Formats: sequence, structure tokens, C-alpha cells
Amino acid sequence: MTTTLAPPERPSAVSERHLARSSAARQRRGARVKLWAGAFCTALVALPVALAGLLPLADPNTQDLSRRRLPPLTDGHLFGTDQLGRDLLSRLLHGGQVSLTVGVLAVVVSGLIGIAAGSAAGYFGGWIDTVVSRLLEAQLALPLLMMLLLVVALFGPSVTVITCVIAVAQWPEVARLTRSLVLVEREKPYVAAARLLGLRGWSVLARHIVPNVLRPASLVVLLLLAQAVLLESALSFLGAGPQRPFATWGRIISDGQDYITTSWWLVTLPGLVIALLVVGVNLLGDGLRDRVRTHKPAKGV
Amino acid sequence: MSRYLARRLGQSLLTVFLTVSTVFVLVRLAPGDPAAAYAGPTATSADLARIREEFGLGEPLITQYGIFLRDLLTGDLGTSYSFHSSALDVVLERMPYTITLSVAAIAVTVAVAVPLGVWMARRADTKRELGANVLTIAGQSMPDFWTGVMLLTVFAVLLPVLPASGFTSWSGLILPTVTVAILQLALVSRLVRREMTTALASPYITVARSRGVSERALTWRYALANSAVPLVTAVGTRFAALLNGVVVVEVVFGWPGVGSLVVRALETRDYPLIQATVLVTATLAILVQLLVDLAYPLLDPRVRLGKAA
Repeated sequence: MTTTLAPPERPSAVSERHLARSSAARQRRGARVKLWAGAFCTALVALPVALAGLLPLADPNTQDLSRRRLPPLTDGHLFGTDQLGRDLLSRLLHGGQVSLTVGVLAVVVSGLIGIAAGSAAGYFGGWIDTVVSRLLEAQLALPLLMMLLLVVALFGPSVTVITCVIAVAQWPEVARLTRSLVLVEREKPYVAAARLLGLRGWSVLARHIVPNVLRPASLVVLLLLAQAVLLESALSFLGAGPQRPFATWGRIISDGQDYITTSWWLVTLPGLVIALLVVGVNLLGDGLRDRVRTHKPAKGV
Repeated sequence: MSRYLARRLGQSLLTVFLTVSTVFVLVRLAPGDPAAAYAGPTATSADLARIREEFGLGEPLITQYGIFLRDLLTGDLGTSYSFHSSALDVVLERMPYTITLSVAAIAVTVAVAVPLGVWMARRADTKRELGANVLTIAGQSMPDFWTGVMLLTVFAVLLPVLPASGFTSWSGLILPTVTVAILQLALVSRLVRREMTTALASPYITVARSRGVSERALTWRYALANSAVPLVTAVGTRFAALLNGVVVVEVVFGWPGVGSLVVRALETRDYPLIQATVLVTATLAILVQLLVDLAYPLLDPRVRLGKAA
């Protein structure tokens, strides 16, 4: 006959209230607030931008000199019109499509370069590591924005060039993170096992190590996207942004600068749109990172 | 120590050399004729040919590069096409303004971010800390040129209390400094918070507390001193990045620094000026990083230069 020993019922000194006030619970709540607020801000900008073609908006490039610089909320122009009578909201949404495309593509490209270079440097060490690490260090010292302007001046401000330029500016962050993750990962038993099974270096790296570092490495993606959007807007503010098919956000702000005293909305609203999107993406990225950090110990137990 | 220094200096020189060489090739691949920019719109083709001859622009790229390297060794970076004087002098003349702005911005950032980060570490995971965190993220998320234009409009146009642009008096430094600092605040304060949270939870803090050391001394003398190395690294890196990175803010505020110079040099295809700017800023940024590395043993006696990996 077996008897199960039930744990004795004892009143616990730790009540629900204590648990709710614990630092872990607070961290989880903070992360949740950030995630929701971030998702809300991002969606508020990204959804209209994505649907710009479907919304009932005036054409972003139709000029009407008789309706110049109308303030917001007049004649069906929600954000008013610019110095050439173009609908500002429509320009922002269509320009945003270009900005966001550049941002997302740049992050994808820099992620690919960064993960390839970082994992190779971390796994193989030796001269590959030396070269990659030196490159990372050198890029810290480079006058980056000057070089970016130079390259754009050289190859012209097309979407492809600007995407590549931003990707080159951002790959060190991914590479450094991936390298440090791979350095830890390659000492683990499963790597030794894979090697014993006769896999060569590259296949161990690509089939066993990289899938394991992909998740932690991808946490920086959202933060990089925020930076990429800001960098693109800075370039286009300096006149080195894409012009076709639509002017992007930085360009719209630099065009509106001359009218700042008479038509505040031409600079204020585009800036708020950028800030709202970047705040959203940053908060999302931050919340995601916090959540993973608080979840981590639970996974190890 | 001296071997470490020699190796680091060698690496730095190599980095500067590679950077300058890359720029040399890049500018010469770029479309646009510097001779036409130099001579102005009224120049005849004979003038252009003469100018090309004079600057050696007709030579093959490799010959131009050889001449460039030979001159570089003697400290001659060529004559600026648009300023008609030594490119190095033009850059060095502008450099103090960029350094002033960067130093002021870093000083303001540290002065605000360190107390803020310490406060955030002590109030970790409270609602107020979350609010401060979100605020600094918002500051980091605003495009710097936009922040600049908005500050200008409010404090120089609507309430004319500060000068709008250029460097006429020291008060002209305020707006650009604030613009740059807002962007840097989040990075530094978050770093301080992270380091301080770890430090405040370490055993030596508990030991010191049990010996009766006051909370104030615990925070500022014990925990902060142990967070100094990562903090100095981050501030040094940010400073080096600012020396090259205040381009946009300089353009917005008409600040007479290197950033607005380089934008102009790019427009006029002023090869020597572009090269000189890149050389000077890269050298300066690398020097700052080197100084930061050399400062480690002063901050933390456990660090021995050149010994660790």
C-alpha cells in the first residue's frame, strides 16, 4: 500500500500582494507597459504608412499653388498643405513608405553581414577574428556620417545605395553581439558532439551554432530599425536622401524649415511622426529585451 | 606598458592610414569635376585644363596617390580648392568649434545622466523609474535636426532669448549642446543604471552597510567607483563619435565647425579639404579612444594594460 505524502498546509507569510510588489513582478509589468505602448505608437504610424495607397488621400505630388500652406484641418487636409500646395499627410505617408522600406531592408542586410562576420570571427578565431575585430574598431573611429555622405554623393541617392550605406553603418553592432554569443556557444558539448560526428567547421557553424544564437541576436533588430529610420532621415535632411518616387521625412522637414515662423506644421508634424514611430520601435525593442532578461533565469532552472 | 603603447599606436596609425586611403580613392571615383568647381561658371576649357594640370588631376590615380602619400609624410595635405589656402589649416581653424561643442555636450550629458542613472538604480522597477526611462527613450528617438529646429524656433524666434545661429557669444553654445545631449542621455543613463544595479547588489556593499557606512557613501563612493570603467569607456566612445557626428547639428545651427565644413567640401568636390577633414577627425577620435584605454589602470588598479585578452 502506498501513501502519498501531501505537503502540509501551512499559512504562508508571502501573500499575493507581496508577490505583486516583488521586483520580478514589477519588471514584468514594466516590460508589458513598454511593449503595449511601443506596439501602439508603432502601429499608429506604420499602419497608415503601409495603407497609404488605399486611404482616400490627395496625390502626394499634385501641386496647387492657390492652396499653399493651408493650416491643418482645413478643406479636408488633415495635416494642412505645404509650400507648393501638396497635401502634407499624403506626402508623409508616401514618403514614409520609402523611409520604412529603407529602414527594414538596411536592418536585414546589416543583420546578414553582421551575423556572418560575427559568427565566423567568434567560431574560427585566428586571422578571421583579427580582421573582423580590427574592422569593428576602425569603424568606431571613422567619421561615419561624413563617409556616408561621401558614398551617397558618389553613387547617387537611390534607395539601394542608401540602404547599403545604412547597413554598412550598422553591421558592427550585430557582429559584436554575435561574436560574443558564439564565443560562449562554441564551448558547449553539442558543438564537440557535432564535430565528433565528422561535420566540418562551416557546417557546425551554420547548422548548429547560428540557429542557437539567432534568437538572442535578433533582439537588437528593433533597436537597429529605430536607428536606421533616424539615420535615413538625417541623410535626407542633409539632401542625401532618396528623391524618387517620393521625398522622405528628413527632406520634407528641411524643405519646411524656411517657413517655420509662419507655418509651424510643416516642420512640427513630420518630426512628430518620425519621433512617434521611433519611440514606438525603441519601446518595443526595449520591452522585448527586458522580458527576455526576466524570463532567462526561469529557463535555466 | 611601453610595448603596449607602441602596439596601440601602431594599430592607430594603420587605421588612420587605411581610412585616408579609402577616402582618397572614394572621392576620386565620385562624379563631378573639381576643376569646374574651382574655376567657377565663367571658366573656359583652357582654364579648366590649366587647373587640372596645376592640381595634378590629369595624372593616373596611382601617381596621384603616390604624390599624396609623399606630401602626407611632410604634413602637406594640399591646397583647398574653395578656400585657396592650406586644407589642413582650414580644418584646424574649424576644429576648436567642433571640440568645444562635443566637450560641452558630453559634459552636460554626464552631469545629467549620471545622477539620473543612479536615481534610476536606487528606484529600480518603480513607476517613476519607468517614466524616466520612457522619457529618455523619447529623447533618443527624436531626430536631432528636428529637435534642433524646434529648439531654435522656440528659444530664438518665438522667445528671442538665445542667439539663432553661429558662434557670436557663449550663449550660442546652449542650444546645440542641449540638442546633442538629449540624444545621448538615454544611452549613458541606462548604462549607469545597469552598472549601479549590479554594483549595489554585490556583497561588498552589504559588508560596507553592515559596518555602518552611510547610504550616500555607499552609492557614490563604493558603487559608482566600481562602475567607473564601463562608464568611462562609454563616455569616451560617445565623445569620439560626437567629434565626427555633430555634422547635422552643426548644419542646423550654422555652427562654424568641421561638420558644416565637410558638407560644403562635399558639395564643391574639394578633394584636399575632404581628405584633411577625415584625417584630422579620425586621428582625434582614435586618440580619444587610446586615452580612454590608458585611463583604465588609474580607475581600477586591478587592470593591467596589455596583460588581459
